[in-house]
Amino acid sequence: MTGAAVGAAEVRPQTVDNRQRSWPRWAAAVLAAPLIFGAFAAVKGVDPVAMYADMLASLADPAQAQTVLVRAAILLLAGLAVAVPARAGLLNVGGEGQIVIGAVAAAGVGLVTDQRLPGGLALVLMVVAAMAAGAAWAGIAAGLRLTANVNEAISTLLLNFVAIDIMLGLIYDPWKDAAGFGQPSSRPLEETARLPLFVTGGTLNAGILLALLALAGVWFATRRTAWGFRLRVVGGNPEAARRAGMRVGPLLLSAMLVGGALAGLAGLVHFAGTEFKLRPGMTTSFGYVGFLASWLALHRPLRVGLAALLLAAIAMGGDSLQIDSGLPAASLNVLMAVVLLVVLGTRRHPGRKS
Amino acid sequence: MIFVDVLAGGVRGGTAILYAALGETLAERAGVINLGTEGSMLTGALAAYAVTAGTGDPWAGVLAGACAGALLAAVHAFTVLSRGANQLATGLVVLFLGAGLTSMFGAAYVGRAISPFQPYPIPGLSRIPWAGPILFDHDPLVYASYLLAPALWWLLFRSRWGLVVRSAGERPAVLATYGHSPLLVRYLAVVGGGLLAGIGGAHLSTAYANAWFENMTAGRGFIAVALVIFAAWHPLRAVGGAYLFGAALALSPALQARGYGFNQFALDALPYLVTIAALIVLGRRQTGAAPEDLSRVFQLTPTR
Repeated sequence: MTGAAVGAAEVRPQTVDNRQRSWPRWAAAVLAAPLIFGAFAAVKGVDPVAMYADMLASLADPAQAQTVLVRAAILLLAGLAVAVPARAGLLNVGGEGQIVIGAVAAAGVGLVTDQRLPGGLALVLMVVAAMAAGAAWAGIAAGLRLTANVNEAISTLLLNFVAIDIMLGLIYDPWKDAAGFGQPSSRPLEETARLPLFVTGGTLNAGILLALLALAGVWFATRRTAWGFRLRVVGGNPEAARRAGMRVGPLLLSAMLVGGALAGLAGLVHFAGTEFKLRPGMTTSFGYVGFLASWLALHRPLRVGLAALLLAAIAMGGDSLQIDSGLPAASLNVLMAVVLLVVLGTRRHPGRKS
Repeated sequence: MIFVDVLAGGVRGGTAILYAALGETLAERAGVINLGTEGSMLTGALAAYAVTAGTGDPWAGVLAGACAGALLAAVHAFTVLSRGANQLATGLVVLFLGAGLTSMFGAAYVGRAISPFQPYPIPGLSRIPWAGPILFDHDPLVYASYLLAPALWWLLFRSRWGLVVRSAGERPAVLATYGHSPLLVRYLAVVGGGLLAGIGGAHLSTAYANAWFENMTAGRGFIAVALVIFAAWHPLRAVGGAYLFGAALALSPALQARGYGFNQFALDALPYLVTIAALIVLGRRQTGAAPEDLSRVFQLTPTR
């Protein structure tokens, strides 16, 4: 292969709607990844067949299946938060930070309102606050991109760490729950202001409805509106978009703000649906896994839904992995990474026009 | 003396970032950005710790850390260079791979004791007031980094070899017409960069923290990548930047040890905020200094 081809592989403009040969790569990823991960597990002295059997068996339990849906709702929102900016050619790696900031905003509004206002009203206020905060956090990165030319992949990554430090700073001191037995966390949200459950005593909450609503909204906005079309043009070729008279800057900003708002909503769903209080480590990499989900789905909204479900099931398997095989749950990152590497790596053949 | 403490801590804590930043400078000069640097540091840190625990020799650990970092970077190189995948996204996935592998194989080493690198004050030099404790009272890997940065500068800007590397990052097509393979050069640069990042991770686990725990790099690899940008892809400027972040990291413990009542997390966020601030100040100017083929990756990234 020549050097020219190496360069060309990076700069060839890509449109999002390039649909040939996408199913074979899904199939290859789904088959290759478990084999490679199984080999790693075998190295650790874990029987891969028994490990996968345990993981599948754990999904058959209805309680576990509910948990998968709860996580899938959050991953769906986190994935859409990546997919919308990606359609405009922006790389939002800051889902984790935007989720945390969304949860912090929801918790802040919740602490003030949940004992004074009717629960439903408090919840609505929390949704608005979480989405606005997530959008603002992503807006920082978009603003830096547009004014100082700071690459958004780098700035969103760094802002993730800042967001987590903000949350920790709040729960270790000003928002610390005096009744928390010395554990750093905020006061639990009143039950009336929580997301309602589908089944009493279960875990499945109304967050899944919010996520599906967001999915429908994103699908419609990106596929059926002029805004979605313009985003795609900017993502395909910003220079062409500029010459066609589109205002590229505001379009990029809007894509990032929508992405941040979706991540903020994910933070709310996690906070008001499952956690009810802020605590260290509460987000467990939802933002990063959402990033993987969006890339797995090639940034198409409906497929992000499927990818979120798949990755939520894998993550659930991680818990059974920890119990049955004694491997840390984070080992599943290996499985997810291999799936993604295969998907990224079988996208197109370098040096050949796709 | 808090000033000397923070600066000495800056050198000590910045060394891991410096190694990673030097490696990333090499890779980016050849036209490939590797966000998986963080992953190479993690695997390097664990491999170094495990081998040091097994052999009792931290130098064997550094060797293992370098190999592990290089191996992970090879995954990035293959996916990006031979399979044509997006560089930024692949780097993150490689980081995931590194984080997963190290938590899978690292659990056994949490809390295990090792015989780490010992500080070796350089006779004479370490007695100099101020400069002595800041620069010349450290472990051997710190001294090695003093030599590595100028060496990399010389290689990149004064040797024929460096010309080939920089051409791969600027005009690969031209390099190809002169009979070199840009693909091979980029492979070597990315793997070499991972090797250095692995040494950085080794410094973290066997000389700085003297411990292994999950995700112990805590974003240092990302800071290194950002550092390369605002050092304008120049190895010597990366030295100052790395120590600045080291100092930001050292400030929090230094203040706490003296009983200042700061909110610890405001200080913990400092290195990341300093990085962002530096990127803002230098951003516009520096993007002109980017290797030409690399700057295409930085503009609106094709997202597939």
